[in-house]
Amino acid sequence: MRVMAQMAMVMNLDKCIGCHTCSVTCKQAWTNRTGTEYVWFNNVETRPGQGYPRRYEDQEQWKGGWTLNKRGRLSLKAGGRWRKLATIFSNPKLPSITDYYEPWTYDYATLTDAPAQEHTPVARPKSLISGRDMKIEWSSNWDDNLGGSAATEKHDPMLAKIAEKVRFEFEQTFMFYLPRICEHCLNPSCAASCPSGAIYKRAEDGIVLVDQDRCRGWRMCVSGCPYKKVYFNHKTGKAEKCTFCFPRVEVGLPTVCAETCVGRLRYIGLILYDADRVLEAASTPDEHDLYEAQRSLLLDPHDPEVVRAAERDGIPRDWIDAAQRSPIHALINTYRVALPLHPEYRTMPMVWYIPPLSPVIDVVRETGEDAEDTGNLFAAIDALRIPVEYLAELFTAGDTVPVDGVLKKLAAMRSYMRDINLGRDPDASIPAAVGMSEEDMYDMYRLLAIAKYDERYVIPPAHAEQAHSLEEIATECAVSEYGGGNPEIFGEGSGTLTPIAVENFQMLKDRQTSDTLAGPSDKASRVNLLNWDGKGAPSGLFPPRPPGPPAEEVEDR
Amino acid sequence: MSELGEGLPVYRPPLNMGALFAEPDVGDVGELGVTVRYLTPHNKWSIHSEYQDNLFMLSLSRGGQTIWMSDQDAAKVGVADNDWVEAVNRNGVVVARAIVSHRMPEGTVYMHHAQDRLIDVPIAETSGKRGGIHNSLTRILVKPSHLIGGYAQLSFAFNYLGPTGNQRDEVTVIRRRSQDVEY
Repeated sequence: MRVMAQMAMVMNLDKCIGCHTCSVTCKQAWTNRTGTEYVWFNNVETRPGQGYPRRYEDQEQWKGGWTLNKRGRLSLKAGGRWRKLATIFSNPKLPSITDYYEPWTYDYATLTDAPAQEHTPVARPKSLISGRDMKIEWSSNWDDNLGGSAATEKHDPMLAKIAEKVRFEFEQTFMFYLPRICEHCLNPSCAASCPSGAIYKRAEDGIVLVDQDRCRGWRMCVSGCPYKKVYFNHKTGKAEKCTFCFPRVEVGLPTVCAETCVGRLRYIGLILYDADRVLEAASTPDEHDLYEAQRSLLLDPHDPEVVRAAERDGIPRDWIDAAQRSPIHALINTYRVALPLHPEYRTMPMVWYIPPLSPVIDVVRETGEDAEDTGNLFAAIDALRIPVEYLAELFTAGDTVPVDGVLKKLAAMRSYMRDINLGRDPDASIPAAVGMSEEDMYDMYRLLAIAKYDERYVIPPAHAEQAHSLEEIATECAVSEYGGGNPEIFGEGSGTLTPIAVENFQMLKDRQTSDTLAGPSDKASRVNLLNWDGKGAPSGLFPPRPPGPPAEEVEDR
Repeated sequence: MSELGEGLPVYRPPLNMGALFAEPDVGDVGELGVTVRYLTPHNKWSIHSEYQDNLFMLSLSRGGQTIWMSDQDAAKVGVADNDWVEAVNRNGVVVARAIVSHRMPEGTVYMHHAQDRLIDVPIAETSGKRGGIHNSLTRILVKPSHLIGGYAQLSFAFNYLGPTGNQRDEVTVIRRRSQDVEY
């Protein structure tokens, strides 16, 4: 058993409101430059819908991910070495720009420069690829809120698979949002697809990155990823992908998408996993067993055997502590409400989801029953607005049993907490019905509903002794050389990049957030007046007064 | 307010625009298009025109003015998703692209509030002038509770008469227009 640590994320889809704050902030931070106009490392899809890029989940068309060959061994769906060599100059399975969308901007200059004319000037859409006027035909979120249903939703690859016909009628409408980032898989097919070996998975935290020096722009990774989360930068000619905001994660901050999430639905934490068994788990013959196989890879950080093995394998002590407090471990292995996205691709994804509990369909309500009464709710799990089969196609390769189990737990939590919130006695039979104790159920409620910032993001900072592999954060930005070292590459006038080392960052942060005005508080000579309200004299403002004669006593008035 | 019965939110049935203002009845299909109830809800992502000119938000939506229609209404006038349509009534003209969805009830269209008129709004066929925004089709209708004065926030101010729900109770005739738009 070789224990390794990975930063993982869980998203609670019950809370996603589809605001896209995560998409916009990520784009502003990472892909706001030429060459990446069409790229959204984080995107939010309305389901049912085609997703971004269109129909990326149809692996019969795109051949992403892994499959088991005739001998039961894992092989890339897009083909092995010979196939890759034969198609290396012209990859036939590459999504084109129209599958993502043709990025556009507007002719804003017209608004200020237009001469006096009869009609107010208007900014027309112009393509960012060709520079010509264009009519907008597709965007990165075209079917938002089920827009274009007749034309688009029916092409949702997941709908083709579910047995019952989903009727696109007003009374049967259902939808939810699916925010997606790179899964930072344990068995990444993007890394396996690269002919140059430019994609690597970091040993210390499992983040999968594209080495911009080694990348030769073959784009096999773009086809190889079944989630289509590696993108091609058409200006630098290299592939880029979600970096899990490693510069932030290394100093203990959450990713930008998680930090700015309005719905507070994201959880980030460490997971300890057994690296030796990844191949065996990914090669599990039956697709329906992949969820359990992956879950069994994820080790229990409270188990003393695991802790010993982790220490032996070089995982720092504070990382082991963080893994024990990890909300990810709680959601995946303790409460078992999180499910992987498309385990059937066999990449062992590490961003998991809690499926949404949708309203019980009106049948129950119309009969006058209380739809949230435990008995009714459990019975109605199979008749929820969002078909359980649809969720199963997304999260468990079509097996509805685990999804049912998760939805029942969420429903039970709702009923159990309702009794508590209404001042009634908590009903212990409700958690027992789903195999949980009352305390566990209450803890799960706290984690899902009201967990604070530091309970949702348990991110241990990186270690200085691993600094060699982390030297990127103390020196230059990995992409600063491209575009001729042009600082504009990060947006107009963003200025020069200031390198900040881990130690400086922590010290600056402590100074800004400490309660004392002078910091370190024992040094009288350093005063930070930034937070001074102007009243009184903060210690250290004046040199210490030598002890003099005692002041006369003042009479009480 | 209590005398008017509006101390708390109250249901008022939609105005019969046909009887009051000689508009066609909702559901009529004629050569000028289909008559539908016109509502102007707020956007998912902005308060009024906030972010309506932000390139990221425009890239995450449809990049211009849109009107949400139901499948059935779109079929009545041969409108496919993303086709240019014109919505006309006695108050004005709006040119936008249609978003056809089964999520809309038949007989109602949504045009979200305050989509930016400076972004991708062509010249209207009906009037020969540039089409407007959502408020082109609405009109201020003063009702008695607007005339209450002098009670804290219920006092006259700019656009005080503007935003209440009764102004949003409109019908419009929507048709598919020529897809060659001029700006």
